[in-house]
Amino acid sequence: MRTTPVRVLVVDDSALMRKLIPQMLAGDDLIEVVGTAMDGNFCLKKMEELKPNVVTLDLEMPGMNGIDTLKEIMRREPVPVIVFSSHSIEGAAVTMKALGLGAFDFVAKPKDASAHMAETAKELIAKVKAAAECRLRPHVRTLAPAKQAKAPAATATPTRIVAIGVSTGGPQAMEYLLSQLPADFPGTIVVVQHMPDGFTDMFARRLDEISSLSVKEARSGDLLLRGRVLICPGNRHMKVKRLPLGDVAVLNDEPRVNGHRPSVDVLMHSVADEFAGQAVGVLLTGMGDDGAEGMGVIKKQGGMTIAQSEDSCVVYGMPKAAIDRGYAIRVVSLDVMGATLQAICGRGTGSDPGTTGRALGAGH
Amino acid sequence: MTNTPDDRGAELRELFFETSQELLQALNDQALALEKHPGDEEIVRAIRRAVHTLKGDSAACGLRELSELAHQFEDALSLESLAAPTVIAEIAFASADVFAEMIAAYQHGHKLPSTRKLSQRIQELTAAPSAGKARRGKKTERAAATPVHDAGWTEYEKLAMKRAQAGGLTVYHVVARIDPHCAMPIAARQLIQNALAGVGQVIATRPDAKSPAASKFVEFVLASTQAVEQISAKGRVPTIVEEVTIELMLAPAQAADPNSVPPGVSHEPPAPDGADHLASAPPATAAASESAVPSASLENILRVDAGRIDSVLNLVGELIIGKSMLQQALNEFSKRYPKELLRGKFADAMAFQARVLNDLQRSVMKIRMVPVDQLFRRFPRMVRDVSRQCGRDVELAVSGQETDLDKGILDAIAEPLTHMVRNAVSHGIETPEERQKLGKNPRGTVRLNAYHQGNQVVVEVADDGRGMDVQKIRAKAIELRLTTTEEAGRLSDTEILNFIFRPGFSTAEQITEVSGRGVGMDVVQSVLHRLKGSVSIETHPARGSTFRLKLPLTLAIIKALLFWVEQRLYAIPLNSVVEIARTVEAEVHQVDNYEVLQLRNQVLPVLRLGRKADADRNKKLFVLVILAGEKKYGLIADVLEGEEELVIKALDDQTFSTDLVSGASILGDGRVVLILNLPAVVEHVARLRPEEAGQSTSGLLLTHTDRARLAAGSAAGGTA
Repeated sequence: MRTTPVRVLVVDDSALMRKLIPQMLAGDDLIEVVGTAMDGNFCLKKMEELKPNVVTLDLEMPGMNGIDTLKEIMRREPVPVIVFSSHSIEGAAVTMKALGLGAFDFVAKPKDASAHMAETAKELIAKVKAAAECRLRPHVRTLAPAKQAKAPAATATPTRIVAIGVSTGGPQAMEYLLSQLPADFPGTIVVVQHMPDGFTDMFARRLDEISSLSVKEARSGDLLLRGRVLICPGNRHMKVKRLPLGDVAVLNDEPRVNGHRPSVDVLMHSVADEFAGQAVGVLLTGMGDDGAEGMGVIKKQGGMTIAQSEDSCVVYGMPKAAIDRGYAIRVVSLDVMGATLQAICGRGTGSDPGTTGRALGAGH
Repeated sequence: MTNTPDDRGAELRELFFETSQELLQALNDQALALEKHPGDEEIVRAIRRAVHTLKGDSAACGLRELSELAHQFEDALSLESLAAPTVIAEIAFASADVFAEMIAAYQHGHKLPSTRKLSQRIQELTAAPSAGKARRGKKTERAAATPVHDAGWTEYEKLAMKRAQAGGLTVYHVVARIDPHCAMPIAARQLIQNALAGVGQVIATRPDAKSPAASKFVEFVLASTQAVEQISAKGRVPTIVEEVTIELMLAPAQAADPNSVPPGVSHEPPAPDGADHLASAPPATAAASESAVPSASLENILRVDAGRIDSVLNLVGELIIGKSMLQQALNEFSKRYPKELLRGKFADAMAFQARVLNDLQRSVMKIRMVPVDQLFRRFPRMVRDVSRQCGRDVELAVSGQETDLDKGILDAIAEPLTHMVRNAVSHGIETPEERQKLGKNPRGTVRLNAYHQGNQVVVEVADDGRGMDVQKIRAKAIELRLTTTEEAGRLSDTEILNFIFRPGFSTAEQITEVSGRGVGMDVVQSVLHRLKGSVSIETHPARGSTFRLKLPLTLAIIKALLFWVEQRLYAIPLNSVVEIARTVEAEVHQVDNYEVLQLRNQVLPVLRLGRKADADRNKKLFVLVILAGEKKYGLIADVLEGEEELVIKALDDQTFSTDLVSGASILGDGRVVLILNLPAVVEHVARLRPEEAGQSTSGLLLTHTDRARLAAGSAAGGTA
């Protein structure tokens, strides 16, 4: 692992934050804040001078704002950028945009630093370190919204249920994955992305823009429809439930699991319990090991489990945990994840998906 | 990270209290700008950014109330279709005030001010754009107490309704109001549900059993074949239900065919609900065109406690004294050993040290310098408020904001300047009607300007109002017995105007809320004297007045001229000396008990620090021609000592009770020198009744014991 400290440049227009963020990072010996900047212009200047390994970037700044700064960083010499976001309508939208532009991850600005500083600091430190380790791939994807008409709400029941768990690096991975799935994708997808509340709605909207599938933030009672993607809202858990008229997502406010809410394990356990062999568990890039156990349960119940391969992960933590425990049936790179899912979900119903066979709704 | 979280929290809060002032200032500035350019989206964005940072910072410090209020405002400002921009400016002003009050309350541990009014106004801001939205807003407001029709049925429930409809059932919305006297409302809910299950199929139940509204009412979606009356009868469970209302939601489908409504089609395609929110995100490209680029000097700013800089400056002062000591020792050495070769080495080292010391001193002084903008930028908001309060239409023009001034001086003139600007708006500028009658622009202008002039900084407050009435001031001065009718006739207009600096002098016809309070012009002048500065007035009837504050660049070190009077050493700031001339006692003439001196073609009033004129009419004298205010005076000195940089040591009031001396300094040989407060000396002499002349000035001389005490005090201060 690292022997030299990660060099961090902190960019924020608030003098308070320029003090607070380095203070939080000072808790780790392997991180060194080499400088601070108060806006985009200074950030770019200091980057040339200081050559940081990681940049933390406030998005709302006078002069050259965060988004433009980010674009410029990515254009010149990409360095992993962790975006600081705030809880507001604007904040969430801009954050999603930043992630789309290649920001590594985001951290919500701390609320009541004296009370929750340790938590935020821990998250920030972990993300900075992960960012320093990540292989930053040049961001080549165009971000024009997918213009294809969305498939009309599918009349057929979905073939299989795909539960995706993802954390750090998730927004980019999800964008890529969903842009690879066609409008007639026969399965239904439920997603737990570790993300604070207030951001998941924007996240879902952003995915909806770039994907041919219908993506939305889940609400209790939402139907698991064919070709639909439901994103679990931040700070809630999501389970699935089979009901007489159709299958639904159900949200709850149970305590955190693995330190997370939403937790991938909660979702995958419930998917395995309700759908058994029809369940597909997918564990994508992310820190920690949330979801590994859930993958195990899905596997045990006869479902399919897929982990993202190391080379395509921003952070290999979660997929690795599942692989190490022997819970991943397949290990697939992100490039072919879409094709893999399509093959698995399409295959379930034979040559003509959605009419007969092991369709989800069958028997109800 | 050795300090505890508590320490860190306190430190953060301190930093917040400090930085938030700048944010509030920005908020005020932008609100003013928005008032001038209504509808400028760039400015609205700048306001939002200030509020945004305030929100983030206060949240980080755990100041929840403030951050929530700021959050509310920020979100309101994010909406694209905002209400009239003038309303935004108004609310921005109001929020700046409320935020400031809240911050002060946090800082001093007081009770937080009420934010309800502001919060309401912000809410109105979001509600205003369209009538439709307003209505929707109202509905959700009432939601806590009353049933919400149609709201939030889940997809599954909607599907169930469609299915039931397709199956030939009628779908009703049943609302049962629970009797307020019912002891167990939650049990009541279950009882009602059971009762309804007897007449149909309950598809949905609201509100959530845990919600506080659950004890007031319960609403169901019921699919039934029964008639409304029967459902109503069933639902009205005695002693539990107060009232039942039933509405038809879906009439049964004509052809009851369950297969005609497959699950997926039964409700709107997913996602579009809420898509209207998406439109609220402003285009990101617009944000890219930010114009306000902060100057490079803003970056890398180090916040240092002013006390620390002062202590460095103090040490530099001591070094300068040390340098003089060394120089004197070297001089003596050179005299004693004129042939010694070491002399040259010493001299080289001395010259080098002197140069470095000079640079050091200049650098340290530069640290203390801040642009006057720090003070000036308070005024736009103040002028706006004051002009509204007293029905004036005033524009504030500011120039020279970048002029640097010692922070200590800047802080000291803040209050006097505020007073003068208020005066200019409330007394100087006429009402718009008056101005129109006079053929002036109905909008008056108050001008704030700052610039360097030699070793001084000049700050001007000018208005284009009615100007000051010299006759009125003259009359008032006589009435207040500040002068006699006879003498008043002799005084120049400038001298008459200076009466307004006397305590208790006010010609304002009415004491208004605005200018009747706070410091008066006498305080303005005394502050300036203390700072070794001066204030002068220039006024033209109907064209306005200008107050000119002249201030030294710094308080700490001055270039001074040293001279002797009656074996006592004095110093005056060199920049007040216009000229030095030689003369003899015989050239000093007595006119009306005033001593004057003719120097070439001008006649100067004479200032004597010593006793009366020397009997020896041929005694040689030096005349220091000094400028105090707008007038020249001849200060008599026996012997000149020379020019020196003096490090001013403040005098405490115990040592010294006169304002004629503004400070003292210690010379290289340890001698103490008094630095005269020239404006006060001039005033002192001018104020003397003729019969007192020649004796009172000696009162400013120190006794020997005083001097000893002063020297002791300074020495103690120096070693500390």
